[in-house]
Amino acid sequence: MVDFEKLRKKSIELAKKTIRESISEDNFIINSINNIDELTKVANVLTKRLRDWYSLYLPEFSKKISDNEAFVKLIVSRKRKELMQEMNIKESMGTELSAKDLKPIMEIALRINSLYKLKENLKEYLEQVMNSYCKNLSTITGALLGAKLLEQAGSLKKLAMMPSSTVQLLGAEKALFRHLKTGARPPKHGTILQHPLVSSAKKTNRGRYSRVLADKITIAVKTDYFKGKFIGDKLKTELEERLK
Amino acid sequence: MILLDKKFPNIFKDKKNIYTKSLDKKTYFEERTKREGKNVYREWDPKRSKLAAGLIKGISQIGFKEGSIVLYLGASHGYTVSFVSDIIGKNGFIFAIDIAPQVTRDLVRLAEERNNIAPILANCNHPEEYKDTVSKSDIVYQDIAQKNQVQIFLKNCDAYLNSGGFGLLALKARSMDVTKKPKDLFKQVMKELEEKISVVDYRVLDPYEKDHALFIVKKK
Ligand SMILES: C[S@@+](CC[C@H](N)C(=O)[O-])C[C@H]1O[C@@H](n2cnc3c(N)ncnc32)[C@H](O)[C@@H]1O
Repeated sequence: MVDFEKLRKKSIELAKKTIRESISEDNFIINSINNIDELTKVANVLTKRLRDWYSLYLPEFSKKISDNEAFVKLIVSRKRKELMQEMNIKESMGTELSAKDLKPIMEIALRINSLYKLKENLKEYLEQVMNSYCKNLSTITGALLGAKLLEQAGSLKKLAMMPSSTVQLLGAEKALFRHLKTGARPPKHGTILQHPLVSSAKKTNRGRYSRVLADKITIAVKTDYFKGKFIGDKLKTELEERLK
Repeated sequence: MILLDKKFPNIFKDKKNIYTKSLDKKTYFEERTKREGKNVYREWDPKRSKLAAGLIKGISQIGFKEGSIVLYLGASHGYTVSFVSDIIGKNGFIFAIDIAPQVTRDLVRLAEERNNIAPILANCNHPEEYKDTVSKSDIVYQDIAQKNQVQIFLKNCDAYLNSGGFGLLALKARSMDVTKKPKDLFKQVMKELEEKISVVDYRVLDPYEKDHALFIVKKK
């Protein structure tokens, strides 16, 4: 007779232990990058609303500062008069607001500003973790893009086992699927497009650049995973040479 | 509340949904419930569970009985496992296997509450990995969405399924080959299965799951 209760007790204990011991930098990195992405989205949505509201007060200013983070930072740190002076706004279509009507606007602005600060702190933390866990990758891609690739692969191990052609198309699964199924044009790059060397390239060069970048990333990640030497700066120089 | 079908124990329906009678009157996945007298019925969502989808699509056999011993491959958070736990009851038992540690936290919590579940972290591509923690079973259920899912399924049926036992394979066409039409792929799988084991029934699971099918096999 099988003693199911004994097997169950043993399995629960073992599973708990395995779950506990499986927690690694991968989890820290994936949670950080997911939260950074989410904070970015939330802060942008809230800032859009804030711009509407603030435009009752000083609409000309919102038009002049398109960057959301800079917009929020400035309105929490400067008075209306100062902003008008600095931006050379002579006359406004907005109106002076009573302290009571201004208060909620400023309160929201302050909260959004602290969301941006939180995001900065998270980025710093992520950079530290990436630099000690996969410095070669992080040197080539920067912490954010490197973390995103790791997140999409699932772990550093999985990313290290991927062929370079798969790395190149991480994040473009939908387009790839469409291509295989319907014969639509194949995607040339996925998340990797965020890399400045690729995104700043001419459109016709992007496919080739992505391939070269994916090759280097693959070498970097394998070296990180197998705890090899630091070759990130060498890879980065080679990359910049080839993509000049 | 009435039985969905006399063949299937502990599975119920009303006009809109299907349910299982909760073994311990508790819920685990924020599922809706219905009470009748002393009983609590847990609503079983076919969009979250391929077994529920198969049942709603009229599958003729599932093999699960009160007291069945089940080897469940790809248990994940344990959503379907929790309903199987209701169906087989307190004299049945489920060996619930998954490979991903952080995904299975809910499964472990469920197993702590339900005496008929053992959570096991292992790769079911290597059945010998868990030979000391599982027993021969009346049913092998697999839902893992991997490229070689058919071979994995057959390996496990070979190693752990009792003769006369049922195997249920939830198949995701996309994870096997995206270039093939799901329909052709299902045909090919059918052939592959039939070389080794007899196929009793199968159902395509849309609209609940796109490009998925549930195969029921029986071991001689
Ligand atoms: C589609 S989900 C299963 C959902 C679950 N059956 C339900 O209905 O609630 C697939 C699961 O299979 C697991 N899996 C994939 N490959 C595996 C393998 N080789 N061994 C064990 N589990 C695996 C994944 O970790 C994932 O949790």
